Amino acid sequence: MYLARKLVLAHFWVAFAGFLLAIMLGEWQMYVRSPLHGWVNNPEHYYRSVTAHGTVMAYVLPTLFAMGFGYAISELALKQPLIGLRWAWAGFGLVVAGTVMAAVTVAAGKASVLYTFYPPMIASPFYYIGIVLVVVGSWIWVALMSINLRAWRKQNAGVTVPLAMFGNVTGAYLWAWTSVGAAIEVLLLILPVSLGIKSTIDAGLSRVFFSWTLHAIVYFWLMPAYIAFYTIVPRAIGGRLYSDAMGRVAFVLFLVFSMPIGAHHLFADPQVGAGFKFVHAAMTAMVSVPTLLTVFTIVASLEIAGRLRGGKGIVGWVKALPWNNSMMLAVTFSFVMLGFGGAGGIINMSYQLNETIHNTQWVTGHFHLIFGGAIVIMYFAVAYDIWPQLMRCPPLPQGLVKTQLWLWFVGMMVLSVPWHLVGLLGMPRRMAYYDYSDPALQPQAWTVTASTVGGMVLVVSAILLVFILARARSNAAAPAMFTFSRSAYPGERTPAALNTFGLWVAMMIGLTIVNYGYPIAQLAMLKETSVPAIPIGGP
Amino acid sequence: MRDDSPYSWSNPWVRWSIVALATLTVVSFLIGFVLLPSVQRDYRADGLWATICRAAGVPAKWIDDGSLSMEPRQMSTEVILLPSMIETASKDAVGRGATIAVQQCSMCHGAQGVSETNAPNLSGQYPEVVIKQLEDYKRGHRTSSFMQALAGNLSDRDITDIAAYYNSLPKARTAPARYDDESAPPLVRVGDPMRNIAPCIACHGGIDHKLGAPWLEGMPREYLLAQLASLRSGTRHNDSHAQMRNMVRRMSEKEIEQVADFYARREAAREGR
Repeated sequence: MYLARKLVLAHFWVAFAGFLLAIMLGEWQMYVRSPLHGWVNNPEHYYRSVTAHGTVMAYVLPTLFAMGFGYAISELALKQPLIGLRWAWAGFGLVVAGTVMAAVTVAAGKASVLYTFYPPMIASPFYYIGIVLVVVGSWIWVALMSINLRAWRKQNAGVTVPLAMFGNVTGAYLWAWTSVGAAIEVLLLILPVSLGIKSTIDAGLSRVFFSWTLHAIVYFWLMPAYIAFYTIVPRAIGGRLYSDAMGRVAFVLFLVFSMPIGAHHLFADPQVGAGFKFVHAAMTAMVSVPTLLTVFTIVASLEIAGRLRGGKGIVGWVKALPWNNSMMLAVTFSFVMLGFGGAGGIINMSYQLNETIHNTQWVTGHFHLIFGGAIVIMYFAVAYDIWPQLMRCPPLPQGLVKTQLWLWFVGMMVLSVPWHLVGLLGMPRRMAYYDYSDPALQPQAWTVTASTVGGMVLVVSAILLVFILARARSNAAAPAMFTFSRSAYPGERTPAALNTFGLWVAMMIGLTIVNYGYPIAQLAMLKETSVPAIPIGGP
Repeated sequence: MRDDSPYSWSNPWVRWSIVALATLTVVSFLIGFVLLPSVQRDYRADGLWATICRAAGVPAKWIDDGSLSMEPRQMSTEVILLPSMIETASKDAVGRGATIAVQQCSMCHGAQGVSETNAPNLSGQYPEVVIKQLEDYKRGHRTSSFMQALAGNLSDRDITDIAAYYNSLPKARTAPARYDDESAPPLVRVGDPMRNIAPCIACHGGIDHKLGAPWLEGMPREYLLAQLASLRSGTRHNDSHAQMRNMVRRMSEKEIEQVADFYARREAAREGR
């Protein structure tokens, strides 16, 4: 790497430090509402903790990780020093300042509104301003990724953009457009109320704007994991990427389809018409296409690796895979969790099936499995893979790394499978306590204990992660050159449409206008849709 | 190569991507706005255009044959609680409010807003609470022969000024009130989720305050018992969403007494002295 080494390290360290604190809060939440502990005497403490856990895990960890990984990709894949290093540090500073501002406000009990904001609840303005700073910091990253790619194209006219950078910039553009919804919500609807300029808020419109961000943000979290699937996994296990073009198709499909589908978070809300809910549900189904393409391509790449290692026959290549390789372990765990989580997600996105599990623990189980499991385990794998470049250290101890990945996988399954089960039985989410002495609930009590134990395993795993990363020491020798996976068909010509973004960004914006234009315009123009705000945190 | 430009219609990638997306969109819209609503009687009642409008969520009267007309019900309150009601008032308002309060309220509610009778304390009461109750008395949504007669003569400004005055006084506190320790009754701290009873502290101050919910600490026990009883029977019905009526109906006599004792501990302490 050229200039960005310390920059990337700073991003990763703040991300993982926040992650470690937030996971402790998550485990505390599980513990206090399990039968192992009496009811939490101050329910507000519970919601304060949920808000902090969600804000760090959903905004701070993935944003900093995507930014840090993005800067690293820009240097490693484009093989040029990062342009705009000072701006990048300024963006990092904004993210850190915003995180601290939001965290202090939450800790003071002035912002227990959960990370999804939930108007008409209104928190202290410092919380929202903190979040805005985090987002603005990340927009600097978006601009820098675009500028670096443009500079590279000038130097390398006619050359295909490396797949890792193509995915990285896709993620950046996706985030830029995605974050606009929440930005409009906070700046135009929430902050005027929070600052005391207005005393009513259009809660329905606010939630529609938030749904604009709420679903696509998941694909922004997911991008680094998908980039790793395509460009790191095949190399790390000694294989070849089956198809470079398929990776590009998957990335652009995420760009087009992940954005205009958020109304499936509003299935139980009255303010959006049933027709739009159906259209959003149908388009949500479309995002399973790039996921299935990816699973196919990566499994095919694994097969190449298995056959290169001498595996024969229909299943012989599976046995021949390097099962003691930590990246092999990570991608296996990730796919297992992606499979379960994805199957659950298809229930969430169906307008009718969703009714059975809406706002139950099923949903909590779903997003922990798919984000905390399938995606975050790839964050770990990426950090392990890239750490020798950042620290100039030898490869990390494989035994500890594999233990950490195993603990994460087992912990996440033990945490989230019981949640899915009781969700089907109707256990509501966002409860500070359950009355296990009631005969209707008593049979479900063990599931909460099980989830608490799963959470404990996750805490151990998180501590181990930070321990492994912190123990790395640089040695004098320069690390081996970092490479991305090679394609199985290196001479393949990439169509121009899969080497540029214009068409796909235009389709993304067009589809957003078609799917969101009318509901937003209607709610914005209707009179008397505002309700009195409910300030949170008053003594 | 012209055909390979990512911005040219002659590039098959561009052409097919746009055609495929447009087809998918049109088909989804046809299913969502025409086909699915057509199997619902209420959606298709007024023709195709009305069906589409209904699926889009356009506000409309759906069935207008009079069968759904609702009996006009008695409103519980006409006051809309706004966060602006809790903004700090000017000194003029406080002074003016003090003048009216001393003349008209102090006989029962005490000169400093701390009652020597079984009338509620007003010292430090949240302003929107005083405004709402006076407005409700004035319009007959809450009944009391004294209070309706007094409130009927107050202008809107009088009411906000009285509220500002009482808000400027210190809140009555019971001896060290620790809401999150185990000595407080469970209904105060954690409610009872299986009976849909929210904890008192979720709204009535101490932990969190929701607009319109009064500060209860130090209130006379008899007043609290009387109010809980009248909310339970429905003779008092000015809680806008029946939130208190629904809480109290599910509480036992003993629980009602426990809660009233907890909030009225000031009186108990004094008697013991």
